[in-house]
Amino acid sequence: MRFSLFIISLLIFGMVSCNDGNRCYDSVDTLMVTSFSVNGYKSIKTMVINGVDRNDVGDILVNDTDSALTKRYPLPLSLSADSTGFVLKANGKKDTLYIRHTMIISFISENCGFAPNYVISGFRYTKGIDSVKISDTKVNPNSILKKTNDQNISIYFNSAAH
Amino acid sequence: MIKILVSTLILLLISSSPGFSQKKVPVWRYEGPRIGIDLSRFLIPYMQKGNRNGWEIQADVPYKGNWFPTFEFGMQWFDDKRDGFRYKNNGTYARVGVDMNIVKFESLKDHDLVFIGGRYGYSIFNQETSGIGYSNYWGSITSSVPKRMLNAHWAELVFGMKGEIFSNFFLGWALRAKFPFSVTKDSNIKPYIIPGIGKTTTDVPFDFSIGLYYRFPIFRTKTLPKPIKMGGTKHPGQNDENNPNNQGTSGTGGLRSLRGGGQ
Repeated sequence: MRFSLFIISLLIFGMVSCNDGNRCYDSVDTLMVTSFSVNGYKSIKTMVINGVDRNDVGDILVNDTDSALTKRYPLPLSLSADSTGFVLKANGKKDTLYIRHTMIISFISENCGFAPNYVISGFRYTKGIDSVKISDTKVNPNSILKKTNDQNISIYFNSAAH
Repeated sequence: MIKILVSTLILLLISSSPGFSQKKVPVWRYEGPRIGIDLSRFLIPYMQKGNRNGWEIQADVPYKGNWFPTFEFGMQWFDDKRDGFRYKNNGTYARVGVDMNIVKFESLKDHDLVFIGGRYGYSIFNQETSGIGYSNYWGSITSSVPKRMLNAHWAELVFGMKGEIFSNFFLGWALRAKFPFSVTKDSNIKPYIIPGIGKTTTDVPFDFSIGLYYRFPIFRTKTLPKPIKMGGTKHPGQNDENNPNNQGTSGTGGLRSLRGGGQ
């Protein structure tokens, strides 16, 4: 009995004490999924996006030269300010979009750490943009997993301006 | 010479008489509260990431032979330094419950147990996070979450063994499935370790403990505890389990039979 007790103890102890690993399997990139289209089913031939006041060579977020009716990009939001500005160049025409938001940093898991969670509260944009539609105000690490026809916001450019 | 022979003969007669050499020594069954420490708490720092230290004491008292009301109390300190943050979690916990022995005792001197049991657990702890770092296109931030007190309630299912390795000293292990049913919510960070529960990365955390116990033999009896009936039929001719003189020399050796089950 006592020998069995000892052996079973060792086996179970070894089994239970297996290391739980140190890999992060969750997304920690918080990106706002944004779609772009031009009213009147006009295609977007080129799209360049960078942050407001971010004009260095490495500051370009998107440089897309493939023509499409709808473009879809994940965009990062500011960590320290309560609004984020983007300079959008669709078909060579320049517009600016400001997004107001709140942010809290939340725990993901012990292996992944923390990531910001935003709530979009409003917009401000230039005349080349016709309208902005909000589909989901919550921007979190799972936003990037949205399906192809789903996004946080949709931006519609004026066909006359583009 | 004759005197020597007569003396030897008398000594042999006296020593072979029933009242001399075969004087019956009373066999007692000693029981009493058992107190011990969980040795696995001292091994955990070498087996898991983070600086996790703690101690736990466990105690039980026999009740009607096969039932063991149990009390466990412990403390834990956890300091986990990661690349993007540092998490600290310290607290105290206690569990109360009962274990039920599921094997029959072979003799009055047999105290080895195989048990199943249940526990209710309560933990009060604090957690704080510092050095939270995050970077993206727009720059980086460093943040922290101040210390906050939280508590947790959970239930446990326990299966284990305790064997008497020396007189009144027991070594045992227990496998524990834990069912947290109430944990204080924290909007910033869900506690990923809770004193008394362990890591909460799964819905039903499992834990393993190894205990070393000392029993205070303050009660004595000549009655073998009545087995707990768990269903099944008793076979004709099965030995009387309540007979204190049944020393369990069935010749089968090894593991004992489960209670109430057919053999």
